Amino acid sequence: MTLSIKRIGAIFIKELHDFKTNINILIMYVIPILLAYIYDNLIPGMPEGFALSFGLLFLVVMVGMYVPSMMIAEEKEKKTLGVLLLSPATPAEIFIGKGLLTFISVIVSSIILLSISSGNGFAHLDVVLVGGILTTIFCILVGIIVGLLSKNQMATGVVGTPIYMALLLIPMLGSMGSSTLEKVAKIFPTYYFNDMLYLALSGLEGEKTLLDMMPQVGILLGSIVVAFGLLVLVYKKKGLE
Amino acid sequence: MIKVKDLAKSYGQRQALKGISFNVEDGEIFGFLGPNGAGKTTTLKILTGQLTADAGEAKIMDMDAMKKARELHSYIGVVPEEANLYERLTIGQNLELFCRLYGCDTKSTDYYLNQVGLAKDKNVPVKKLSKGMKQKVLLIRALLHRPRILFLDEPTSGLDPASADTIHEMLLRLNSEGMTILLTSHNMEEVDKLCHRVAFLNQGEIVEEGSPQELKLEYSNKRIRVLIDEGQGTVSKELDLNGEQSAKILSQWMAQGMVRSIHSCEPSLADIFVKVTGREFS
Repeated sequence: MTLSIKRIGAIFIKELHDFKTNINILIMYVIPILLAYIYDNLIPGMPEGFALSFGLLFLVVMVGMYVPSMMIAEEKEKKTLGVLLLSPATPAEIFIGKGLLTFISVIVSSIILLSISSGNGFAHLDVVLVGGILTTIFCILVGIIVGLLSKNQMATGVVGTPIYMALLLIPMLGSMGSSTLEKVAKIFPTYYFNDMLYLALSGLEGEKTLLDMMPQVGILLGSIVVAFGLLVLVYKKKGLE
Repeated sequence: MIKVKDLAKSYGQRQALKGISFNVEDGEIFGFLGPNGAGKTTTLKILTGQLTADAGEAKIMDMDAMKKARELHSYIGVVPEEANLYERLTIGQNLELFCRLYGCDTKSTDYYLNQVGLAKDKNVPVKKLSKGMKQKVLLIRALLHRPRILFLDEPTSGLDPASADTIHEMLLRLNSEGMTILLTSHNMEEVDKLCHRVAFLNQGEIVEEGSPQELKLEYSNKRIRVLIDEGQGTVSKELDLNGEQSAKILSQWMAQGMVRSIHSCEPSLADIFVKVTGREFS
């Protein structure tokens, strides 16, 4: 299979034009920034780094999954995917073009979040970026799967919400002290991103560098491989219609 | 150009196509005429590689339409029945996407937009367009890569007469430049006006096929209707199309200056459809 950079670029440009006018999607980017701001400035006594960690986790997990799932479900609902498939664009190019916009926008938003949050997040830019990039790729793959499993945009809520909640909330709750919840949370790759952020930003575990987090990085890489395999299986079974 | 043989397709228990066969020649406009649910869209989707048939073969330019769908996409343009454009994007952005996907010059959009009178609306979001304008954009989108065969599913359904005329003119112009066109319609006047040959599709079967003129002559009752002025008013009389008796009567009326008009009684395509299938065309 050969991929065309030009066709991926064409899908990316289309998504960029669409993105700028899609209020449903734009608002998803505002929520984590708003939440981080509230935790940082309006709620007293929050642990150091919590606001930034929560904002980043929300951004990477929710936006990373929600945006591609909505993009694909909308194309299915409005029957525009059919006409894309009548063009020389392959399904892989369509997925990459759509995923690329989500990927870039999540990473750019992460940098914005770092710059507006209190604390010294930029000192751990390598951890935030490596963890963020790997988790975003994982979440985009899961989002595409949700899009493929959903008939329309409404259905992404039914199919996706349990997955989004599990991947966002269980790792957060698991890191709050309950050993049972922590055992469950360790099933989810997002736990390891949250763990990386905690180690780097909380200041409670001493000076931890990216090199100390290779097990987490390895698990995130493995999760990407598993999610990709699952995507291929779902695509073969469900197709794009 | 298009060869279809014994094509069959079922959706569950319902047989949408019951083994249809037909050919479309290079440079021809071929029309599928039939009511909703007759199998027109199913045929079009199989030919454009969007559906796989259960049995039979469909060849386009001697390539299997189902197995070589991706190779064929560069040679075909498809105008679907539903206006599946990106509503939040402008006309220009919609068309430029497909220019980039096909690797053609984005400036070619201007040429077509000028032809259909939409050049000034290039930066208008699609969601603000009328149905007729959207249909013109769909047609342009299908033409950007200069396909050899154009498939249209109900191209003027629900359009106002002026928009329908613009689309018809464009199709006739494209055909005069050599493009082969296959269209489905339940608008008999459209098919009559555009198509070199038509096929009547009813409940998944082709029940009649030929040029509109051939069909009308074949199913004609071979009579004429003459409006004559008898002094007290105009009355309608029917005569055989040929024959000594008809010629004698008609020449008498003509000699006496009584003839106001003469109409052939040839049936419309819709009349022929009813005659062949026993079903109303709706």
